[in-house]
Amino acid sequence: MRIKEDVISTIAQVLDVEKEKLEVDKSLYDSVGVDSTEMVEIRIALKKKLGVELLDREITNRQPLNQIIEIIEKKLNANS
Amino acid sequence: MLEIAITGLGVVSPCGLKKETFWANLKKCQSFVDEIKRFDASGYPSRIAGQVHQLDAYSPISSRLIKRIDIFSHMALVASSEAIADANLNLELINKERVGVFMGNALGGWLFAETELRDLYIEGREGISPYMASAWFPAAPQGQITIYYGFKGYSKTVVADRASSALAIWYGAKAIRDKKVDFVLAGGMEAPITPYALLCANTYGGLSKNNLKPKEAYRPFDLYRDGFVLGEGSGVVILEDIKSAQARGKRPYAFIRGIGFSCDGFHYCRASLDTKALEFAINECLVDSKFSKEEIDYICLDAEGTVIADALEATALKNVFRENLEKISLSAPKSMFGNLLGAQTALDLIVTVLSMQNSLVLPTINFEQKDPYCNIQPTPNRAVNREIKKALIIARGRGGINVVLGVEKF
Repeated sequence: MRIKEDVISTIAQVLDVEKEKLEVDKSLYDSVGVDSTEMVEIRIALKKKLGVELLDREITNRQPLNQIIEIIEKKLNANS
Repeated sequence: MLEIAITGLGVVSPCGLKKETFWANLKKCQSFVDEIKRFDASGYPSRIAGQVHQLDAYSPISSRLIKRIDIFSHMALVASSEAIADANLNLELINKERVGVFMGNALGGWLFAETELRDLYIEGREGISPYMASAWFPAAPQGQITIYYGFKGYSKTVVADRASSALAIWYGAKAIRDKKVDFVLAGGMEAPITPYALLCANTYGGLSKNNLKPKEAYRPFDLYRDGFVLGEGSGVVILEDIKSAQARGKRPYAFIRGIGFSCDGFHYCRASLDTKALEFAINECLVDSKFSKEEIDYICLDAEGTVIADALEATALKNVFRENLEKISLSAPKSMFGNLLGAQTALDLIVTVLSMQNSLVLPTINFEQKDPYCNIQPTPNRAVNREIKKALIIARGRGGINVVLGVEKF
């Protein structure tokens, strides 16, 4: 739960949008129009905030936010 | 032949945003130049400038986008939105594939680049914003305007030092004349008040060093001139064929009638002491615009403010117009707010169009003592009532780029 909140607040901060606008069952593109360059910013911010290394194709602006959260949770749990 | 009408004006300048404020402040005939306090400029030989205030207060741009663009794009977006509103252009009713954007600037956007490159060197590749790649380069504002509004027509950015926006406006007019687009947003933007850009401008050496009296520093054609003062901002005009304006019920301000251009072909930085190339550009503009020398009411001067450049401009005008020059009003209203480099002609055009509308010639301020080598009267210090029907705007870029635009009142 904590990871989910951290991911959402990190993404909201990068995009300068309210957290409520990030709908977990929608992609970042569909909910707030995230482009590929913003995805680079998001990946870097998630690495700095959560210590999770994400490859370019691992998370994209076209997959549901839920999936992104799951991927990050799995990576962090595997590391811990 | 299509007639290229100017139907909207948008301005972001040191003496105001929105054309009404801009004009009201210009009519005060006072200087808007101040000491630079945005960063520590105390070590710079020239540390004064015309600076834009309250950009955010007038900006319709989201903070999410502002974080990703340089301030020169931000200023261009604000000027564009003003111009579109002023032209009563309903974007829902026009074909966006037939709208072009033609912009000019000399330097690109340095504020974003300077801070991000610092972070790159300190933190490594993850310290830099990925938007650095698209924020700094000269075509960035043109791209941001087209993306923001969804314009998909033929568009270009011109980099030609202080003649950048003069050429951009002309290429925009030509795109309409060639029927490539129906509407054009044309103009320029410049944001040189940053630590590195100011350093470059100082290295060039054309800037006034009268730091103790900023408001008296930019004094073109005056005997004690010592260079120009930098300014920042953006000017954007809406261009369309007169029939398009009439069909929309929009009364145009003026027409772009023609252009003259030439290169000195002399030195990478200095202008030629021989004024023939500038004279050629003025004459070519008169021919292209179908203006006779006797018809010209007003000339908006390049007014670099350096000892040599002003003398050369005055000489070229004397040689072209001879006895007619005394009947023509000449001035450099930019002496009030600074020289916006690549964006300057866009502001000169807006000033000229507003002067036509108000039948008022704005002055060259700080003109106190005539220089025998600049034997012209540049409308000193006070505005003069005069109907302006036909006007020329002179823009000269570093290295001897000469551009002259011909403008006629509607």
